[in-house]
Amino acid sequence: MLGAGAEGGAVRRDPLLPRPMAVYRELGPMAAGVEGAAGERIVEVLFRVVGRGTALLADLRKDDRVSLVGPLGRGFAQVEAEAKIAASAGPALLVGGGTGIASLYEWARALASAGRAVTVLIGARSAGDLLGWSDYAALGVEMIGATEDGSAGIKGLVTKPLEDRLRKLQAGRDATVYAVGPTPMMRACADLAEAHAARCYVSLENPMACGFGVCLGCAAPRRSGGFALVCRSGPVFPALEIDWAGLP
Amino acid sequence: MGGPALSDEGERAMGVGNGVGEARGVGDGSRASVDERVVLAGIPLRNAVLTASGTFGYGTEFAPFLDLTRLGGFVAKSLTLEARHGNPPPRIAEAPAGMLNAISIENVGVKVFLEEKLPALPEGVVVIASAFGTEPGLYAELVARVTAHPRVAGIEINASCPHVKAGGIEFGQDPRLLAELVAVVRKATTRPLLVKLSPNVTRIADMAKVCEAEGADGITLINAIQAMEVDVERRRPVLSNILGGLSGPAIRPIALRMVWQAAQAVRIPICGVGGITCAEDAVKFLLCGATAIQVGTQNYLDPTAAIGIARGIADYARRHGFERVADLTGALLPPQGK
Repeated sequence: MLGAGAEGGAVRRDPLLPRPMAVYRELGPMAAGVEGAAGERIVEVLFRVVGRGTALLADLRKDDRVSLVGPLGRGFAQVEAEAKIAASAGPALLVGGGTGIASLYEWARALASAGRAVTVLIGARSAGDLLGWSDYAALGVEMIGATEDGSAGIKGLVTKPLEDRLRKLQAGRDATVYAVGPTPMMRACADLAEAHAARCYVSLENPMACGFGVCLGCAAPRRSGGFALVCRSGPVFPALEIDWAGLP
Repeated sequence: MGGPALSDEGERAMGVGNGVGEARGVGDGSRASVDERVVLAGIPLRNAVLTASGTFGYGTEFAPFLDLTRLGGFVAKSLTLEARHGNPPPRIAEAPAGMLNAISIENVGVKVFLEEKLPALPEGVVVIASAFGTEPGLYAELVARVTAHPRVAGIEINASCPHVKAGGIEFGQDPRLLAELVAVVRKATTRPLLVKLSPNVTRIADMAKVCEAEGADGITLINAIQAMEVDVERRRPVLSNILGGLSGPAIRPIALRMVWQAAQAVRIPICGVGGITCAEDAVKFLLCGATAIQVGTQNYLDPTAAIGIARGIADYARRHGFERVADLTGALLPPQGK
């Protein structure tokens, strides 16, 4: 959970809540010369300015103070390792819509270095919104882009190339889809994966106030009834556990 | 702003993860001159800072962030007799200097609380249980069960629940319903009993008097203020429940006013809550007549907030020549020139 400090580093009261952010990339240890921080790890976050909170974060300058609580929640590796269905060694299809790709980079890197066949499908409204392309490409993974206006890559939604790929992969039996993006995109990915007998994991982005299981604001409805907290049980879930009709 | 109150600059040193400040424990020599202890409704507390129900889970969620035994105490998530799922999402919304929530008392139920949650807490943590129900009898049954557990230091009843048989009006909004509720619960427990009042009333002092007359040991105020937010692009209410409760700094001056009014009306102690973000905020509530305070929404932003606030209250007391934090209660001076 990341929040901008107020002028002079005081407590900021408006906007009040910090923002849940994925760690986009973990960079190496901090260089010497930053007081009290030598050897600390540097993490990078990637976000879109959508309101006042993200605008404040975007305005931060070097040496500005932020509040940070984290890391929180369970990522792809942990959730997949604990899932009822055994993980596949087959192709990994990573689907990122918009800023959803911020949650997939480290996972793509981990899968690629484990020798998995990784395809990253990035969807955006137009070419200018295709984030992280060169970072992902530098991992040596296969890249497929899709834009709604056709200004880059395939014209249309990113779910179209996903469907094509799932069909090609022997009915997708060995494939695993990892999807992060707007809820309709994740739901469509989950449906496609189910139709092609592929595993599917999603990372939900529900609004939350705390990030550690007490505000109960981020509840996502489960297919089996009741709610799961996105902050604590997730944000990554097996797509089959989510009651998509109940998720705004 | 002026005067000698704590500045935001002073607060900064108490921010998230300030390990230097954390190391200074209660009883530290530099603060030996200020006695931080208070007694709230018969419950001895090591300091005047509790954390508010619904913002602090069952305590264990905060164990990675702070030493729970350094809190004055905490009020656990409101309980119902059976476990309860909350409302469907969206459950929260941001508001100017605050937030709305409509969780609807999602909780593990009294059995799991007593058998699993309480035993998981370290020794020495002051736990106040919070009770919720739709009828006085259900509150009383719950309170009786909680009373039997030795780890429960006191009970706070959440009087913001709609009374089913009275057509859904909140107990805390009707003096007669409130009187009936407090009387019934009072008979069910010998433990210290606090009543958390709804702010959604015209005259809070009347409600406070009702609690005192029916034997409550103290009152907690305020709960969240009923509110609403709209997504104009979607042309829909933001919350699935339409209405929610506003909390955070936005409500602090209203909470302060209500604490002050209640303090003029009753002799039982008051626990002040509503938008407290720092020691300066907390001191305002004490000056207006609160014996202790609760930190609520701020726990989400800074899970260590309560510890820094307790330290800041002691610092304020020392700077202003008070030997005991308890002496700050009601120490507000008249307006300038009167």
